[in-house]
Amino acid sequence: MIRRFLPDGMLLASAVIFPYSVARIFLDTPIERTMGTAFKIFFFHVPMGWLTMLMAVICGVAAAIELRRRSMTASAVALAAAELGFVCGLGVLLTGPIWGNATWGKPWTGDARQMSTALLWLVIAAYLLIRHYGPSGSKRLAAGLAIFGAVDVPIIYYAVKLWKTTHPTTEVVGSLPPALWAAFWPGLGAILLCTFGLMGLRIRQLVLAEQLDEAWVRVSDREATDGTDPT
Amino acid sequence: MVLLRQIRLLLLAELRQEVRSFEVVLTSAFFSVVMMALFALSLGALPVESQLMAVPGALWLSVAFVGSLTLTRVFDRERESDTLRALLVGPVNRMAIYFSKAAVALLVLLLATAVLVPGLIVIFPGAAPMAERPLFSAAMVLLGCVGYVAVGTLFAAGLAAGSGKNVLLSLILHPLTTPVLMFNLVATRALLEAHPGADAYLGRLAAVDVVLVVLGAWLFEPVLVGGGGGGAAAAAGRRARGGAGR
Repeated sequence: MIRRFLPDGMLLASAVIFPYSVARIFLDTPIERTMGTAFKIFFFHVPMGWLTMLMAVICGVAAAIELRRRSMTASAVALAAAELGFVCGLGVLLTGPIWGNATWGKPWTGDARQMSTALLWLVIAAYLLIRHYGPSGSKRLAAGLAIFGAVDVPIIYYAVKLWKTTHPTTEVVGSLPPALWAAFWPGLGAILLCTFGLMGLRIRQLVLAEQLDEAWVRVSDREATDGTDPT
Repeated sequence: MVLLRQIRLLLLAELRQEVRSFEVVLTSAFFSVVMMALFALSLGALPVESQLMAVPGALWLSVAFVGSLTLTRVFDRERESDTLRALLVGPVNRMAIYFSKAAVALLVLLLATAVLVPGLIVIFPGAAPMAERPLFSAAMVLLGCVGYVAVGTLFAAGLAAGSGKNVLLSLILHPLTTPVLMFNLVATRALLEAHPGADAYLGRLAAVDVVLVVLGAWLFEPVLVGGGGGGAAAAAGRRARGGAGR
């Protein structure tokens, strides 16, 4: 019962927390001195960045389980995670240049993390293209792609440390003043709840669609055996 | 030992087939020359200090495109005669298939870079440090190509085994191999700029290669014939019992 309504509950909770977090971000936190209002992007950009990485990892792990056990649920989890990773990644890539323009004077600096995030997003997009438009049997190929995509995540993290970068280091998040932290957490919570709620709904929908297909095939087979037309 | 013997036999068969026509080697070498000509036309007039940034890009973009062409041609032969399917149902270790195909693609790619690297050194004066440190350059090119081939072989084989169109290979291959190519770009630039820590990049490249080769070899069988133990035969059995996809 709890499992049945958990995604709806998460979306409902997100709908309640999100306006509160927006109010905290825009009304309760001070305007940053150098970046001005553009700093508010931080509260959306960072959670979406984290979620893009998380979804890529979830997609990779689910794809590995799908390959190993031929699990319908794992296949659905991988696809749902990729779709949400795609949306979150798009959010990161759209908000990042606004931040960059305010901070560095130009929207795209070719910075290592910008490039790597764009790259991870391209891998997720390629996975979705293969899943949706690939030929028959391409699910396994897409799963391999997702696993490689997940392996890219630590390489991306390492790239930030390896290459000279203009991007804020990961320590910047930890050095925020308490007032900003207080506004950051509700926003992160709302985005997390919304993402996982949507993911739960999408997984359920994909599993049901697959079960429906299988039921249709079974009925068609039975009708064909009995010599009657299934339609 | 059995695995090594199978790899050797499959590799010899591939090489024998290639020696009969030199199709893949010649097309890849010609494409390398075309890529060089294009880079010479577009970037040849750059000042030497700008060439330090342009040459790594020219080299590894060429490797990416030539590699894509090579992998496509290597597996096209299998697709035309449906021989990959025959290999997969035969009593051959799937890893042997992966490593033999990867070795062929690597050899062809290395031959293409044997055209590319000297060509770039001639065209771009900024690439001269590559000639001054030939061992470093050779090791870097080898490690870079190994990483590329490790990823490419898996997905080219996956497409050849199914009914996938080759156009999908570029879609999969280029986003996935860009991290390796980025490492290569940084290593090449460090070499050209005589960076004191340039040697450390070779170690990093090798580490990335190990990850990619292990992952590629491990995923080869599940991606081509499905996991869950037992491969194609087990999958066929499950399908016959009506349990596919569960």
